[in-house]
Amino acid sequence: MNLKSYLDLYELLQTDTTTREENRAFGLTHVVVKNRPIEQLLAWVNEHRAKLKKPLLSETFSSYLYGVTLTLTLIAFVLGFLSGVGLLSYSGHEPVNVIYFMVMVVFFPLFTMTLTLISMIRANTAQSLLVHISPAFWMEKILYFLPHKMQENLKEVKINPLLTNWIVIMRSQIIALAFSFGLLLALLGMVATKDIAFAWSTTLSISPESFHRFLNTVAFSWREYYPSAVPSVELIEQSQYFRLGDKLSEEMITNASKLGEWWKFLAFATIFYAIILRFGIYLLSVFGLKRAIKKSFLTLNGVKRLLSEMNEPIISTHSSRDEKKFMPNNDSYIQVVSSLDTSYDVVQGWAIPKAQLVVISDSMQVISPKLFEVGGGNTLDEDSEIINKSHGEVLLYVKAWEPPTMDFVDFLEELIRRVDKVIVYPVGTSQEHYKTQSKEVEVWARKLSTLNHKKVWLKR
Amino acid sequence: MGKKTLYIKPQESMVKKMNTAHPMFAVVGHPNKGKSSIVSSLALDDSVQISDTPGTTTKKRSFPLKVDGKILYELFDTPGFQRARRVLSWLEQHDVPADKKHEVVQMFINEHKEDVRFSDEIELLEPIMNGAGIIYVVDGSKPYGEEYEAEMEILRWTGQPSMALINHIDETDYSIEWKRALGHYFKMVRTFNPMETTRLQHISILESMAQLKEEWIAPVKASIKLFEKYQEQMIERSSAAIARLLYESVSTVEQLSFSSKEASKEEKEKIARNYKDKLRELEVSTQKKIEQIWNHDHLKKEQKLLAFEGMDLFSEETASVFGLTKKELLITAATSGAVTGAGVDLLFAGHTLLLGAGVGAVVGGVGAYFGFNELSEVKVLGKILGKRYLEMGPMENRNFPYILLGRAIYHTTQIANRSHALRGVIDIDMDSTFKEKWLRDDLRKALEKYHKKFRSGKEMEAEELAEYEGLIKGVLERMIEK
Repeated sequence: MNLKSYLDLYELLQTDTTTREENRAFGLTHVVVKNRPIEQLLAWVNEHRAKLKKPLLSETFSSYLYGVTLTLTLIAFVLGFLSGVGLLSYSGHEPVNVIYFMVMVVFFPLFTMTLTLISMIRANTAQSLLVHISPAFWMEKILYFLPHKMQENLKEVKINPLLTNWIVIMRSQIIALAFSFGLLLALLGMVATKDIAFAWSTTLSISPESFHRFLNTVAFSWREYYPSAVPSVELIEQSQYFRLGDKLSEEMITNASKLGEWWKFLAFATIFYAIILRFGIYLLSVFGLKRAIKKSFLTLNGVKRLLSEMNEPIISTHSSRDEKKFMPNNDSYIQVVSSLDTSYDVVQGWAIPKAQLVVISDSMQVISPKLFEVGGGNTLDEDSEIINKSHGEVLLYVKAWEPPTMDFVDFLEELIRRVDKVIVYPVGTSQEHYKTQSKEVEVWARKLSTLNHKKVWLKR
Repeated sequence: MGKKTLYIKPQESMVKKMNTAHPMFAVVGHPNKGKSSIVSSLALDDSVQISDTPGTTTKKRSFPLKVDGKILYELFDTPGFQRARRVLSWLEQHDVPADKKHEVVQMFINEHKEDVRFSDEIELLEPIMNGAGIIYVVDGSKPYGEEYEAEMEILRWTGQPSMALINHIDETDYSIEWKRALGHYFKMVRTFNPMETTRLQHISILESMAQLKEEWIAPVKASIKLFEKYQEQMIERSSAAIARLLYESVSTVEQLSFSSKEASKEEKEKIARNYKDKLRELEVSTQKKIEQIWNHDHLKKEQKLLAFEGMDLFSEETASVFGLTKKELLITAATSGAVTGAGVDLLFAGHTLLLGAGVGAVVGGVGAYFGFNELSEVKVLGKILGKRYLEMGPMENRNFPYILLGRAIYHTTQIANRSHALRGVIDIDMDSTFKEKWLRDDLRKALEKYHKKFRSGKEMEAEELAEYEGLIKGVLERMIEK
């Protein structure tokens, strides 16, 4: 997991065309990484990386970062070297004040490292001022000097600010390290090639003993191993320099050879404060960047959906086959009777028991010598027998709420072969006083229209 | 007619039965008794054709509950019996002991496969003979009739485990007489109204179906658990869609270029119109997405829009029903303003003697009051560069996110709680008490933090949007029936 894989994932998600099914299939075929989202995402990136357009955004971005960082590192190194040369320049009139150099290799690094630590703690905030004042932050401003096409590619990249902060922090440490190496090289170079008289000078009334105690504290990490790299009280006394008089003191001139001993202290201070400690901070920033990449991986837009598609089972309840569109027959039946006669040759009730048939007929004020239950619990033979007994005009009651089945149609077809006229009369339930709903009668009308026989009439 | 005694050869359906590992259920019955409604409701699928015209279903249709392609159980919607007496008459011609009756049914299928007269019976009997349990559906709002007995007798001949479901299409109740009759044919009789199905009723019916056969208990129970997971997934996906709608709607910016020196009134009106249309489009597309998530993608759009008539996003009525009242707005704005002010106090370690909080509250509150009817200022940009354009957005109205969110939550709860068997126009009955149900004080404060960020027009982090989604998810979990 690195910045490259993060950017590949970012680019893949931007152009993602994978379906839910494909992602779930991926999740199921990569069971080893199940419940390990980062590994799952990395595996997914590896699987789909080939789909990305060349050059990869990650490559463009990495090469841009590498180029910018290298340039800034070189500049920082040169600046460090020049600063070192400047600080250690000895005109012969005045000795080199070690305090300037100490400020550059001890206090300034300590101060910037403290700021770095604070910015590390506050790296989660998108607008971290401390990050923005870092020279590395301005790296992105160099973007404007890049070729137009590369500029366009990179402008589209919207990296998580947390990640940007950590990239800036880490790269700042590299630049600071380069600067420190420049300083060290300048120190070693100047010491080797020039005879430098080191001294220390301050307006504050600090005794050589106090200054020695302070230097001893500064040198706490190497004083046990390299005691010669800690200036002695004598050396401090001999190298104290007062500007008044505009010339070197007698004592300084007498101990001129000893004054150069300061270089060891300065070299160790540079190595420890500006290089080793800075390197420690760099390692911390590398660790922080790794964590930020990990976090950013999971918060990248689209990752939540992707992970849930990989890990959540696809549940479906749909039918795999489309239903044939049902086109109802909306023809209305034209052979309609609006009122009943008082008597019929035969009265039949489709699935209506005889006792109920009597009640219905009575309520309709219809009489008939022959009342039969047909359909319902009858066998087909029983129905045939009733048909054989039927003649003339038949009033056929049907339950309006029960839709006509083909069983009824078969019966009706057989009946009309035998009789002169059949009036189909849908009736409601006894609770409804045999009244019907118009939509129920419509259902019967539609069914009769499919039969379309001149002997069949519908009572509405 | 004399009864026939036949030698019956081993049937292929037996082989099929052995090979079918998952439970299957065939929903059968008389025509127009709500079989498709029941299937639609149990399968959470609104694509099933339902109408009061008999014969709507002409072919059996399978509705498998699949998890990653693996079928846990399968429901079959079937056409109704058309010539039940004729089929029974054919079956009864064969004098066979009870253990061979199902083979006679299979023989009927084999012999009449090409016979159009029995196409409906073949369609409904085939899944049963392939091992499906029987769910016999009757309408308990209409009286029992003897004509049903032929159907039930045929089903008994199949020898498959069965249960009866009493559906109530209308309000009248004949369920006592139905239960008495059905009790003779089915070991289990349940009442189920697909139009008013809750998740608990759904689960209860599934549990009953599992009881039909011992070996079906485990897979159906697994299916029940899965349905819970499914609901969770749907809530999560809906929350994500709503969160994105809010973010995009509040932060969206509309631009319109113009060439004259000053933008005309028409141009200003046009940008305002475009801006509103864009927001409406966002809402409509999110609603469609949510309907798809909940398998309600067959709801007709125009019908839904009609239901929203007079409840336009920008109407006063909408604001009063879904949004915050002026008082609530003041409190919310004052609280969020105070939060900013308190930040200043913290920065100076309280040395401002809480002055920051006081000033923040006043400024925020007054701003909200005056911003009640403001959407977004129409800005004229690019004057210096010569390429002039009008810009509207991000949304400045503090109430807007609450209106939009209220509407989205209301719509989602309506969709989520709606039975898949319903085919009518969705009844989005605006209820002013709804806001009180979903929007609590603490939630309002939590939401305001994100609304403020949306209004700033800054790019939102996926993490922040996920937090906002979490808040919406919590509301939906509360509002959607368990």
